Amino acid sequence: MGRRGYGGYAAGALVAGAVLWSLVTSDMDPSRLLSAGPRIADFLGRMLPPDPSVMKEIIQGSAETLRIAILGTLGAVILSLPLAILASETMVPAAVHRPVRMVLALIRAIPLILVAMLMVGAVGLGPLPGIIAIAFHATGMLAKFYAEAVDGVSRAPIAALESAGAGPLLRLRHAIWPQVAPVIARDTIFRFELNLRESLILGIVGAGGIGFYIQTYVRSFQYDKAASVTIAVIVMVIAIETLNVALRRRFS
Amino acid sequence: MIPAVQIDDLAFSHPGDTTPTIDGLSLTIPTGESVAILGPSGAGKTTLLTLLDGRLRRWQGRVSILGLALDPDAPPPLSRRADSGFIFQEFALVERSTVLRNVLNGRLGRMGVLRALLGRPSAHDLSVARAAMTDCGIADLANRRVDSLSGGQRQRVAIARCLAQEPRLILADEPISNLDPARATEILTLLTHAARKRGATTIFTSHQPDLARRFADRIVGLRNGRIVVAAATADLTEDATAALYELNDAARAPQLQVIS
Ligand SMILES: Nc1ncnc2c1ncn2[C@@H]1O[C@H](COP(=O)(O)OP(=O)(O)O)[C@@H](O)[C@H]1O
Ligand SMILES: [Mg+2]
Repeated sequence: MGRRGYGGYAAGALVAGAVLWSLVTSDMDPSRLLSAGPRIADFLGRMLPPDPSVMKEIIQGSAETLRIAILGTLGAVILSLPLAILASETMVPAAVHRPVRMVLALIRAIPLILVAMLMVGAVGLGPLPGIIAIAFHATGMLAKFYAEAVDGVSRAPIAALESAGAGPLLRLRHAIWPQVAPVIARDTIFRFELNLRESLILGIVGAGGIGFYIQTYVRSFQYDKAASVTIAVIVMVIAIETLNVALRRRFS
Repeated sequence: MIPAVQIDDLAFSHPGDTTPTIDGLSLTIPTGESVAILGPSGAGKTTLLTLLDGRLRRWQGRVSILGLALDPDAPPPLSRRADSGFIFQEFALVERSTVLRNVLNGRLGRMGVLRALLGRPSAHDLSVARAAMTDCGIADLANRRVDSLSGGQRQRVAIARCLAQEPRLILADEPISNLDPARATEILTLLTHAARKRGATTIFTSHQPDLARRFADRIVGLRNGRIVVAAATADLTEDATAALYELNDAARAPQLQVIS
């Protein structure tokens, strides 16, 4: 028990302290807490029934979200292909792949919504900041995945094709490409799904897409319309996931 | 007749190695023969076969394959590489591709570059590939992905790819390692039959003296990159063949016909 016990007490005290500090400084007086329940119920009540008249906005917003995800993914693929080579442990020396991998980890650490806010500041409202933010954010993951695909290539079949009299181009085409292409396709589809999901909320910071309408309707107290858009988002997420499961099976 | 392989005073060290892997080796292999190279792990068997396949640089000595001198400083011209076919110990197949695609990869050096790039083999390429698969007993596996096959089936795909290449010299690196004796006999039977049918010379490395004696016309014993014995199988006693693996005591070495 002894020494481990003290460590346990210290950790317990730290957690208790953190919870107390949050409670005391967060304006959580009991009367507000008690009234929050009925207010949420009232809010939900006003969302019902969802107003179907916003179908046009839903379709427009969804189409824009889809465009942002498609172009953002395309941008990430274009950035990731050369970066993958630079991040590969087998293609370039450690002096190159170590710093490149560190930059990619840094990019992954920055939340998308933060990048989007910065891009709105830089290039203004609309889908363009969303596309740039998605491309930037997704590159952190995609370049790493592609690099792993490149490093996972087995050398033996390359030597076998060399032995059979295939030149470098044919080795690339028939020994390297069949090993890398399905992995790249699978990674890209996976990232596209994430991009589509994440771009649903970009509109909230003004970076385009369906999220813009949720934001607008909540601010103007049109909760029934906000509800319709929310349902549309949920349906889209489920559709994306279903499609992705089917595609992933195809590229296993 | 020009010998299939002519080696004079060959020496080679792997980059960074201080001791030579091949150390003053001379050997002549007549066309059409089946030759077994025996020797313990690390003797230099794989290195020697890879060198004969034209895939090692910076060696000393003279090597001629099918009458063409190898250049120690440059790979052989692409047009000649298909003449020697290599069967890799670990098969070296493209795992995600089908059996047929892998076997057709053996044709890449024999077809036009455009056909090869587009992956559009001619009817002739296809018929050569199918004949090779039939000889290896894998015709019915043509559309299976290699990563769904057993080790024995993969070995057959590797041999079929080599045969599809229509090589005049077949270099097989431990084609029967990891196989039980019945399977090993099957594989060596189909390999030597297919080679004889095509008039190809075969060199295979092995750890199994008894099977080497059954399937090779000539046996070469390799140790520390040197030939300790090279003789027609008929001229070599079973004990002498088996002794290739017990050469740690130098006392036994003089009993063998030592060449070089
Ligand atoms: N790529 C390589 N780089 C450095 N040394 C190697 C390489 N391949 C083999 N060797 C060395 O060369 C020697 C012979 O190896 P190898 O030809 O594989 O022998 P065998 O096939 O008879 O077991 C061994 O000592 C091995 O460690
Ligand atoms: Mg070996």
